[in-house]
Amino acid sequence: MKNKKGLIIAICAVIAACAVLAVVYQLAGPKVQSGTKAYTLEVVDDKENVKTYTGKTDAEFLSELMDELTRQGEFTYAGTQGPYGLYIEGVNGLIADYDADGAYWSIYVNGEYGMYGADIQPVTDGDSFALKYEGSNGN
Amino acid sequence: METKGPSKERKAVRDIALMGAMLALLFAGKRALDMLPNVELVTLFFMLFARHFGKKTYPVCLGFTALEALLFGLQVWVVMYLYMWPLLVTLVLILNRKEIPLWGYSILSALFGLFFGAFCAIPYLFIGGFSMALAWWISGIPYDLVHCVANLVIALVLFPPLDKALFRIRETLELG
Repeated sequence: MKNKKGLIIAICAVIAACAVLAVVYQLAGPKVQSGTKAYTLEVVDDKENVKTYTGKTDAEFLSELMDELTRQGEFTYAGTQGPYGLYIEGVNGLIADYDADGAYWSIYVNGEYGMYGADIQPVTDGDSFALKYEGSNGN
Repeated sequence: METKGPSKERKAVRDIALMGAMLALLFAGKRALDMLPNVELVTLFFMLFARHFGKKTYPVCLGFTALEALLFGLQVWVVMYLYMWPLLVTLVLILNRKEIPLWGYSILSALFGLFFGAFCAIPYLFIGGFSMALAWWISGIPYDLVHCVANLVIALVLFPPLDKALFRIRETLELG
């Protein structure tokens, strides 16, 4: 009986800790903006060729915008869901193989190196995104 | 002079085999649930191994990290694994000294999942400073919540029977 009571108290403490972290996420986490937003998305490949997509979207997150562009047939990407979000492996058919040569795809948001993965990066009105192929030689 | 029990060499061979078996179980457990992000058996296995085989689990932490790095390449999470799993083993060894009920390990497992992201943010302090580490941790909180609930449920259901089974195996094979 005492054992069960202890377990219940401990589970309540875990739930309380979860609630605190959920509040922290609500207050300080990525902010989502609903409605139609203007965006620019640049894809910079391994030869520094730039392909630019502009338009308006209702997407709340960058990955949703990428899915939208994929459906329009102008853009493709490949990625895997990791423990902390979507990891972009390839864009427009160009795969970055980190294991082979240290190459990867990075996300820039309004000129700054992105803090979040594509599936938690919010889209806000006027945002300018860039997906850049980062090679081991700095390209 | 004859001594009772297995010789030093036999013990060493047995320990190596034991560590190999632990590593194989961890690796298989990790692969089995790979399709479910943040739902994993590795925390459960490390806790059980640390509880029954003590400090012998530390080299297994290194072996597991090396095996994962070999498979997926050297990335930031390799650095995280290098301290996260030994940290879990250390926490279990501390709990082992106290007589706590088995569900205590389930609570540890839940809290380990909940704060996994916070501890994993440490390398980002050196990559992009405090603001990057904080942003990285906060953006991952939903994943940590899933990790916490999954760890709690898995440990509440599987820890007691597996603990019993390991106890029997340890007694029968005179391991530990």
